[in-house]
Amino acid sequence: MANFFPRWTNWLPLQMAVASILIVCGLTAATWYYVTPKYTKVGYQPIQPVPFPHDIHVTQLGMDCRYCHSFVEMAAHSNVPNTQLCMNCHSQVQKDNPKLEPVRQSWKDGRPIDWVWIHRLPDYVFYNHAAHVNRGISCASCHGQINHMPVVYDAKPMSMAWCLECHRHPENFLRPEDQITNLDWKPEDVNPAEFVAKYGQPQGVAEDWSKKKHLTQAEIGQTLKERWNITTSENCQTCHR
Amino acid sequence: MKRVFQHPPEPLTGKKYWRSLGEYSNTPEFREWLEREFPAGASELEENDWSRRDFMKLMGASMALAGIGLTSCRRPEMHLVPFTKSAEWTIPGKFLYYATAMPRRTGAIPLIATTVDGRPIKLEGNPHHPASSGGTDVFAQASILDLYDPTRSRRFVNHGKESARAEFDAYVDKLRGQFGSGDGLAFLVEEVHSPTRERLRTELEKAFPKMTWCVYEPAMSDAQNYATHVSFGENVRLIPRFDRADVVLALDSDFLDCGEGDLAAAQGFTARRRVKSASDAMNRLYVVENRFTITGAMADHRLRLPASQIPIFTYLLAGKIGALTKDSGLVSLLGTLTTPSATSEFNEQWLSELANDLVAKSGSSIVLAGQQQPVVVQLLAYAINSTLKNIGRTIVIREFPRNRNNKSILQLADRMSGGEIKQLFIFGGDPVYNAPRAVAQDPDKKVPVDWTELQKKVPDVVRLGYHEDETSAISQWHAPMAHYLETWGDALAADGSYLSIQPMILPLFGGLSEIELLNALLGRPKVEGPEFIQETFRATRPPGDFQTAWSKFLHDGFAGHVALHDRPAAFNAAAAGGPAKQLWSATSLPTAESPEIVFVRSYAMDDGRYSNNGWLQEMPDPITKLTWDNGAMMSPNFAASLGVVTGDLVQIAIAEAAHDANDQPIQRELVLAAIVSPGHAENSVTISLGYGRPIAGRGPLPYAGDSAADNPPTGDVPGFNAYFLRTAANPHFVVADGKTIESIKVSKVGKKYPLSITQDHWSIEGRGLVREAKLDEYREDNNFVEKCAGIDEPQKYLPSLYAHPPLTGEQQWGMVVDLNVCTGCSACVIACQAENNVPVVGKLQVSHGRAMHWIRIDRYFASAKKFDEDNGEFPQDPEVVHQPMMCQHCENAPCETVCPVNATIHSEDGLNVMAYNRCVGTRYCANNCPFKVRRFNFFDYNQRPVGKKKIAGQFGIYQEYIAPFTEKGAPDVTKLQKNPNVTVRMRGVMEKCTFCVQRIEEAKIATHARVGATGGDLRIPRDSFTSACAQACPHEAITFGDIKDPESKVSKLKAADRNYRLLDYLNIKARTSYLARLRNPNPKMPDAANIAVACPEAKA
Repeated sequence: MANFFPRWTNWLPLQMAVASILIVCGLTAATWYYVTPKYTKVGYQPIQPVPFPHDIHVTQLGMDCRYCHSFVEMAAHSNVPNTQLCMNCHSQVQKDNPKLEPVRQSWKDGRPIDWVWIHRLPDYVFYNHAAHVNRGISCASCHGQINHMPVVYDAKPMSMAWCLECHRHPENFLRPEDQITNLDWKPEDVNPAEFVAKYGQPQGVAEDWSKKKHLTQAEIGQTLKERWNITTSENCQTCHR
Repeated sequence: MKRVFQHPPEPLTGKKYWRSLGEYSNTPEFREWLEREFPAGASELEENDWSRRDFMKLMGASMALAGIGLTSCRRPEMHLVPFTKSAEWTIPGKFLYYATAMPRRTGAIPLIATTVDGRPIKLEGNPHHPASSGGTDVFAQASILDLYDPTRSRRFVNHGKESARAEFDAYVDKLRGQFGSGDGLAFLVEEVHSPTRERLRTELEKAFPKMTWCVYEPAMSDAQNYATHVSFGENVRLIPRFDRADVVLALDSDFLDCGEGDLAAAQGFTARRRVKSASDAMNRLYVVENRFTITGAMADHRLRLPASQIPIFTYLLAGKIGALTKDSGLVSLLGTLTTPSATSEFNEQWLSELANDLVAKSGSSIVLAGQQQPVVVQLLAYAINSTLKNIGRTIVIREFPRNRNNKSILQLADRMSGGEIKQLFIFGGDPVYNAPRAVAQDPDKKVPVDWTELQKKVPDVVRLGYHEDETSAISQWHAPMAHYLETWGDALAADGSYLSIQPMILPLFGGLSEIELLNALLGRPKVEGPEFIQETFRATRPPGDFQTAWSKFLHDGFAGHVALHDRPAAFNAAAAGGPAKQLWSATSLPTAESPEIVFVRSYAMDDGRYSNNGWLQEMPDPITKLTWDNGAMMSPNFAASLGVVTGDLVQIAIAEAAHDANDQPIQRELVLAAIVSPGHAENSVTISLGYGRPIAGRGPLPYAGDSAADNPPTGDVPGFNAYFLRTAANPHFVVADGKTIESIKVSKVGKKYPLSITQDHWSIEGRGLVREAKLDEYREDNNFVEKCAGIDEPQKYLPSLYAHPPLTGEQQWGMVVDLNVCTGCSACVIACQAENNVPVVGKLQVSHGRAMHWIRIDRYFASAKKFDEDNGEFPQDPEVVHQPMMCQHCENAPCETVCPVNATIHSEDGLNVMAYNRCVGTRYCANNCPFKVRRFNFFDYNQRPVGKKKIAGQFGIYQEYIAPFTEKGAPDVTKLQKNPNVTVRMRGVMEKCTFCVQRIEEAKIATHARVGATGGDLRIPRDSFTSACAQACPHEAITFGDIKDPESKVSKLKAADRNYRLLDYLNIKARTSYLARLRNPNPKMPDAANIAVACPEAKA
């Protein structure tokens, strides 16, 4: 009786096994990479009705975040500025810039500008700006270097695991309260002597930090955490209500 | 080895607490409710034709379809839309609070409205004004939902066709030219006590001096007003001061019913029951009534008496008091009345001990007659109070303006019947639905006529209505009415103080206020601002700068400078004698063959004005625990004599002496469901008004249980319209007196009606949940709460097998519920619903045990004997105890250990928290909850019109069951009410009381933000916020706060000796605890021995 199956089929099971392992691994890897907020959210950069350049306003002109996002220290939401606020300056500056036409139009007919929402959390997450910016967390920790963005994009994944990175180790992110809206701040900018004079240093540290050349983020963070009694919560109710 | 838990045994002697007659007699149906986690069928789709298997098949198919149509994987683009110009005070996402007031027929309730982003979402009492003291009632809480009612009137209608505001204005202008001196002009309005409306009305009367102004409130009686007028003069109102009273007698008076609007009075009463320690005094309440009311449930001594027998009782009581005090005024008043014949029905000792007690407390007692009782009862009650020197002490006579030109609806109807009225303006109300039947005599045929025919005789009827209802249907013009949260206004509180009403939002559907329409009738230009109110306010002569005073008036919500004037205590016995003699009539005791029919306002629907409010429809009645319906309440004995049980239809037929146009005796009939109600008077039937009101635009309600063929003719309207039986001659109770009423028959129909009664839902076996004692016993034994059945030995907790998270939070949250002041009014239930976005599920779903309320009020009847000792007889005179029940936030929570996905866990500040987005809906937690307080979203109650439409009738399949194929989305307008700080839950997740975690977090964040980088104290200031239920409770029965702080209110209450935790022997360490109920019976009364037998085991 002739062979029913050709010879090459002998290898077929092995090929199939190898192929399926590769496919499974590939799928896993692809999912791992593509189907997470790190990929799906980071870099989201929609077209806005007015191409508002944060870099010009903040870095070149030196405006503070809170000039426009005025309620960030008071409310859960960081408000998007209204047309009236834009017109404070643009009724005189760049009066005829065609890019500002939607703003002028809005001011004329009273219809608000529909900004596209970038940093959006799911409905069941109740994030509060006031709780963070008043307690040593900078805008840059979640929004990245907005001051250098000509067009704003989502810089961080904003997933729950990412939130917990900070909620588990806030000392990696805390900074002095007057540097919250200074998005270019680096730990090296801190003068150790002034810092220690103002905030002291953590208990149980024998070394005198004021004599150090630079303070690290961990040292600054640990000091502020103890000084301000920062007790980040990892409870569900902190964000889900 | 499995550990079999030994629960403490139920006591064999003493008191038994039961929720229903089913529980009392331990029927299999009740065991089913008791023993199951969710009732039978709750986890099935529909009882017939539609199994879980079928559902899976269908869902499989729809999943496949969804796969094919997987089109939109793209991120939905969402927008951030700021204002164009900044709005004053507004911070996006932050709450703003404004003072306002809710106008009510008895006097407005001062409120604080919470608004967010320009929309009001919640109402709380104004803590700075004594008419609320921070408390609210169910109607104030629920009125926010009325604002967003999708079936509200949205258009101007002319002869049934849609019209426009401009045309309406032109019509009103034209009509004004026809008024002449106003002899054909009439207004039918509701009682709102608005000084501005009153001012505009007087101006109208100047322009049209002969006009008729009629104030009609179906749930209000003129008897009390008339009696007050006769006894104390014009323009006065009696203000009861319960806080000064040691002994209170309520004669068919439901004064604790906050729904009547007088919160301050009820608060005065409960203030005297707030017992901090055994040395505190407590007032004593005697109640004589035909049905259980909220007041009756609080009574120390309660006498069941048909409503028609109250006059005789009052007469006899007055006689006893007259004999004791020898007061000439009272004796002479009694002398004018003929002695009633049947007096042997009353327990002599009950009467005389009551009289003794009242006389002993002269000057600190109150005798109150319900406003539905006839004039003579009111006069006798005033005379008794005068004899007891209560007037001026416990009853204050306050000046309260009342226009003497006000006409009653009977007078208006007379004029309409005579064809005198040419232009009729109806503001609010719904006279076609709620006017008394036989409201006038036809002048030609001499037969009684109803409102509908009368209204059709008027050539021009303009209706300003909140809904396009039956009255609008037969009016020439209908204009949409604005909600009180949309308009400028003012009102007087029940105590006479002057309150401001300011709009929270522009009229959603272009509604008009009464004031705007009156202004238009005066021919003045349109005004949209507060100018009218300012003018009235200016007349009160505010001190200082007007603008400042006005701003303060709006800010505070009341005018502090307007003084209240009290009159001297002078009861005019001589003036009372005449009317008393003329109006006195004593009817014989009703019998089973000729029972009395009593009409009362509903605790949920009021007089019917809230009949489109889903929260109120679904709120279980405080006494019957019935939702979505009313019924004929009757005693177990009377029901047995008819051969009916709860849910059987009965027919009530009233034959009148009057004849109709065909010269036949008038027969009024109503078929409605019986409700067997323990504690109800014999041969008396009580029907709540306010149901059976059809409203256009409201979808039909599915009925639970039986097929459509068995449904009574009421169709798609919830409940039964008792107004059909209510005539102008007998508006409050009907007895066959042989004069106007020939006979009253109640008979069995033989069909059943599906009622959704929640009294057995979430039942718990008798495990000493309710603990009560007499005040004397409490004084003897301060720790009586510890000595309940089986728990009197020292607690030996078994160790917990599970690791529990450390309670390391700086603040630990806890709650105390004082059963001694809880009246069961249910304001907390509605407040919780408003605060926490709790959905309405509909009648069908409630009957399946799927009601979603996070806080339920368990109503227990208590009686001395057990069922088998009674030889099958039901107890006649049970007592009632209310127990609010919500998540107890056990420290060793049984629900947490069984959740497979950690969706319910413990926080370090002692909360049992739910992460909705983690919950997969196994419902193990509900199964393991000893308090049965967890609620499961069986359907998308927020997303789909639940039970609204049958899409496959023959299979009994409703819209909500087949998710992908049916319409989605709630009306936009209802979404405006939702609290943005609370997740709107979806299908398939478990939910329960969170101790208002959003308020805790809000307060915590506010503290953190305030402390900022200063290194200060991060604890939330003591008692600076509270949960929604505690805030709403008018009696402060619920206290919430930090139990770690020994100085907080809640810690102090937890330290009290009446404090106990439920099921403590299970070592669950509940964070909610209760203060045991006390009763203060008079030891000399004949029934004193059976009242409030504390902790039976200890006594036995």
